[in-house]
Amino acid sequence: MKKYRRPVQIVILLFIVILGGYAISSAVLGSHDRLETGDKAPSFSLLGIDGRVHQLKEYEGKAMVINFWGSWCKPCVKEMPALQHQWEKWKDKGVVVVGINAGEDQMTVQNFAEGRGVTFPVLLDPDSEAQRDYNISPLPTTFFVSAKGEITSIHQGELDLDTLDSQISQLVKP
Amino acid sequence: MIENTKCECGHQNRVGTVLCEACGKPLIELGEAGGLLEMRYDGAARRSQRANPGIIDLVWNFFSSVKVAVYLIVLTLLGAMLGTIYPQVSTFVNLQNPEEYYKNTYGTLGSIYYQLGLADTYNSWWFILLLVMIGSSLVICSLDRVLPLYKALSKQKIKKHMEFLTRQRVVYQGQVEGSAEEWIQRAAPVIKKKGYRVHTEGTALLAEKQRFSRWGPYVIHIGLIIFLLAVLFRGMPGLHMDEYVSFPEGEIKRIPGTTFYLKNEQFTVKYYTEQELPKEFQNKGKLVAKLFQTKAVLYECTSNCNDPSKTPQLKEVTRHDIEVNKPLDYKGLVAYQYDFDLTPKLRSVQPVLVNKVTGEEYGKFKLDMMNPQRSFTLGPYTLELKNKFMDFMLNDDGEPTSKSPNPNAPAFLFLVKGPDLPKDGAQYLYFPKQVDKERFQQDLINEKLGGVEKKLELDVKHMTDVDFSKASSYLNIRMDRAMPFVWTGLAIVMLGLVLGFYWTHRRIWLRIDDGQLTLGGHTTKNFFGLRREVVAILKTMGIEVDEKSLDNGRNKG
Amino acid sequence: MSLADLLEISKQAFMYSFFLYCISFIAFAVSVIGKSWRNRDPVQHERKWGRLSFFISTVGLLGHLLYFGTRWAAAGRIPVSNMYEFMSFLSMMIMVAFTIVFIIYRKTLLGLFALPIAIIVMAYAAVFPTEVQPLIPSLQSIWLYIHVTLAATGESFFAVGFAAAFMYLLRTVNFDGREKSDRRQRWWVEFTMFSIVIVIGFIVVVFAFRASGYQAVFSSEQVVAATETSPEVSTKSDSVVYNMPPIVAPYNSKTDSMQSFLGMNSPLLHAPSWIEGVTAGRKLNTIVWSVIAGAIIYALLRLLVRRPLGKLVSPLLKGLDPDDLDEISYRAIAIGFPIFTLGALVFAMIWAQQAWGRFWGWDPKEVWALISWLYYSAYLHLRLSRGFQGRKASWLAVLGFLVIMFTLVGVNLVIAGLHSYAGTN
Repeated sequence: MKKYRRPVQIVILLFIVILGGYAISSAVLGSHDRLETGDKAPSFSLLGIDGRVHQLKEYEGKAMVINFWGSWCKPCVKEMPALQHQWEKWKDKGVVVVGINAGEDQMTVQNFAEGRGVTFPVLLDPDSEAQRDYNISPLPTTFFVSAKGEITSIHQGELDLDTLDSQISQLVKP
Repeated sequence: MIENTKCECGHQNRVGTVLCEACGKPLIELGEAGGLLEMRYDGAARRSQRANPGIIDLVWNFFSSVKVAVYLIVLTLLGAMLGTIYPQVSTFVNLQNPEEYYKNTYGTLGSIYYQLGLADTYNSWWFILLLVMIGSSLVICSLDRVLPLYKALSKQKIKKHMEFLTRQRVVYQGQVEGSAEEWIQRAAPVIKKKGYRVHTEGTALLAEKQRFSRWGPYVIHIGLIIFLLAVLFRGMPGLHMDEYVSFPEGEIKRIPGTTFYLKNEQFTVKYYTEQELPKEFQNKGKLVAKLFQTKAVLYECTSNCNDPSKTPQLKEVTRHDIEVNKPLDYKGLVAYQYDFDLTPKLRSVQPVLVNKVTGEEYGKFKLDMMNPQRSFTLGPYTLELKNKFMDFMLNDDGEPTSKSPNPNAPAFLFLVKGPDLPKDGAQYLYFPKQVDKERFQQDLINEKLGGVEKKLELDVKHMTDVDFSKASSYLNIRMDRAMPFVWTGLAIVMLGLVLGFYWTHRRIWLRIDDGQLTLGGHTTKNFFGLRREVVAILKTMGIEVDEKSLDNGRNKG
Repeated sequence: MSLADLLEISKQAFMYSFFLYCISFIAFAVSVIGKSWRNRDPVQHERKWGRLSFFISTVGLLGHLLYFGTRWAAAGRIPVSNMYEFMSFLSMMIMVAFTIVFIIYRKTLLGLFALPIAIIVMAYAAVFPTEVQPLIPSLQSIWLYIHVTLAATGESFFAVGFAAAFMYLLRTVNFDGREKSDRRQRWWVEFTMFSIVIVIGFIVVVFAFRASGYQAVFSSEQVVAATETSPEVSTKSDSVVYNMPPIVAPYNSKTDSMQSFLGMNSPLLHAPSWIEGVTAGRKLNTIVWSVIAGAIIYALLRLLVRRPLGKLVSPLLKGLDPDDLDEISYRAIAIGFPIFTLGALVFAMIWAQQAWGRFWGWDPKEVWALISWLYYSAYLHLRLSRGFQGRKASWLAVLGFLVIMFTLVGVNLVIAGLHSYAGTN
């Protein structure tokens, strides 16, 4: 028994350090539910109005502007032209604009998109899965995600053309 | 230099041993000579008291100390107190700006409270660190003590050194007549009757009972360790879920993050009647809920689960009437009744198309609020659904739009084609709810759109053609795979508490030397009871003693 | 027999057992003090009166059990769900714990100290509304019965431990000593006495003003933050009724009506802003009144006996062996600790898991139960080390009971939370 004393002590102390470190870090880091800048953008798998399923990982390598919106939300509607404009401007420069609708049905969203001439991918989130994963409360909320998949900034409220432009330029900077 | 720790009886003891492991003679003088013996672990050396500590020994000794453990306990309880001064952030569901909230509601004190991290005390690094240290202390304290104790208790010598007996806390010395061995043999059954296990060795006797009670504290500590580990692992992904989800009546809704779907078939709420309320509450217009219950069905998805473009195939797995203290429980997934909302939500209507000129009615069709069919053929007419607005309103530009995604004031824009209508179709706006028809002047709008309302109209004939969900039930969905271990840990703690506190380990040593009987008795607590027992034993053996006289010295201070 | 009849019997039984306890206390006092009266054999006197006192207290306890049983039958559920019921139950369990410990140790003097605690707790219970209230759904569970009753049982043993520990201090503190340590001990003993008098003051003041029918009404606006059940920030206008003259009115309130008292026509002070909530102002007012009343009673007692109360009581205990008192205190706490753990923590966790889906939520009441548990666990660990017998341990036992009382009373009344079931007051 004597000669096992030292190894046993070391093993136990090691366990304590590992478990303790895990306990402290998961409590401190995990205690915020909100997504913050620097976090990885949560993945999603949603049906688009084009009839195809879109996933986050298919946009890997591209910077992203993810905009959560609803047709009843006035500021969301107001910023649509700006988003469309930016999509056309930046889509060949490695930036993709994706709109995620908060819980409305196919018809409403399709009519809306067609009516406003929106051509960037618009996805449906009927079960609010993406809204949950992204902790959405107020609409509109826009996430700016770098090409590496990191959230660089979160914007709540209406976006105007200039802010959008400068945010996106920040995204594509090397 | 090697220290000489060999006892006069010949046994070699480890450095740090207080009482010889074999005969019990005190090796180290602690306090004054003649004072009470240090009986913990029966005087055996503990691992942490060996010579020449290295860094590992220092850390080990630190956690092995009871004094440190007490400090840790006290610091933890003081820290926990701080967390009760102001409500913690976890009591709020959707606090957008906690810093501002604490400052506004509690003033500068509140602001300081938040800045110090006390608004989330129980997740703070220092609090968790205290718990981790208590856990370490539990492990190391126990390991350090359990082995020496086990060794000391399992290898006990019957005949102990005289000093060992006379320096116990319960002592008797007196004369006995006759043969010593015979006296011992007579005493053995008397003591046995009191529940002791008796061992004799010539003129000496050792009686012991309820040794198991000594393991009590270690069982408690093991239980606490299991409990803490279970709580820790609970945080790991996949083992824990806590969501609040609303389930409107009649709809099958997915439980987020799982492949389960739940249907709220029916929601009922019962209130206490006026008579059932005590006098104080009557006529106050107070509604106290006696019962609220959700008739729930749980489904599991069997295929097409992760493809948003396909409809998932569901299979029913269980059903249960969920009430506040009676959750639905399926393989660790639990749904608790949390709250409810009695606002009715319109789901669908089944109107008929009426030809106002001829009075003919064409086809009843089902118009869903959500995901409605796009086109309907009713008699000679076709209705194409062009647009819908859940909560109709006209925006600043006079265009129709929706105020919210909820079907509070639904409106449907159809393109109608058929006899007596323009070739490209005519527009017709339909409000299913009568109150909206009047509020928004449906006929006026349709006049402007092309005048279809003069020829046709959509009409819901009966209330039975209207489908709405009467209530939404808010359920709290939780999953906690670590719970069995939590309960196991607690059960073990309780076992240890009972073992350790409701039984005591008692030992009595006897020896007769030249007609002089010496008796020493030891217990971990309740010396009062031990003295009473010894008095009773001695009385049966013909020796009258007063309880108090057995009490050998008290601890001063 | 109708439910109303049962309730009536319950109320009467409560009153009769209360009076019996008071009489038993007087009898215990006679058995102790009367030992030195002329023409008496002290041992015989104590034995006779001791037996009589215990008999009376046991009859009182039977009456108390009758209160409990009939109220249970009348309400259709175990009566431990509001402050009145719970405190009545606690005082009943204190008497049970005392009875058990008395039977083991047969120390008459223990009655002199345990009975006042039970009496005070019972009187405190009577302050609260006594109506049988309908149970909200989250309270309709068998775990409620088990959790609350076991927790109260454990706490009542801690109360007996407190009584024995306080007796130890009164027995061993040197009331004539000049040294600093002696003076410090005396001061704290007297402070403990004073605190007990303040509790008595609270009870006196509540019943006195209630008998006079005093009332003052205030209203104020409150900002209510978003919480789990109401996710919006809102303001609400609240009115609160004070049943004693407002020395402290609620923060930011206006006086709707107020009866004058001793020439006082408007509130003397308003509560500061950090005393949030409209009922908090009333609680603060009650505390202020309790302290005043307690101070007055204390001053009167001091004038009457012309020495510190501790010094008055101490000689009565001369015949007792302090080590025995120490052991009784330790034993009581050792018996109570597993019961308290089981009731206040384990079954509380089981109930919470079943009712709210989480076995631990760091709710103030839960946290204070944990604090109490940690405290007594520290006490028990300290008892293992040599310096901690006797005086230090006794102070810890005294302080421990204060922690328990805060958990029961302070959390409900001072800190809000899911747990406050004191009864809509």
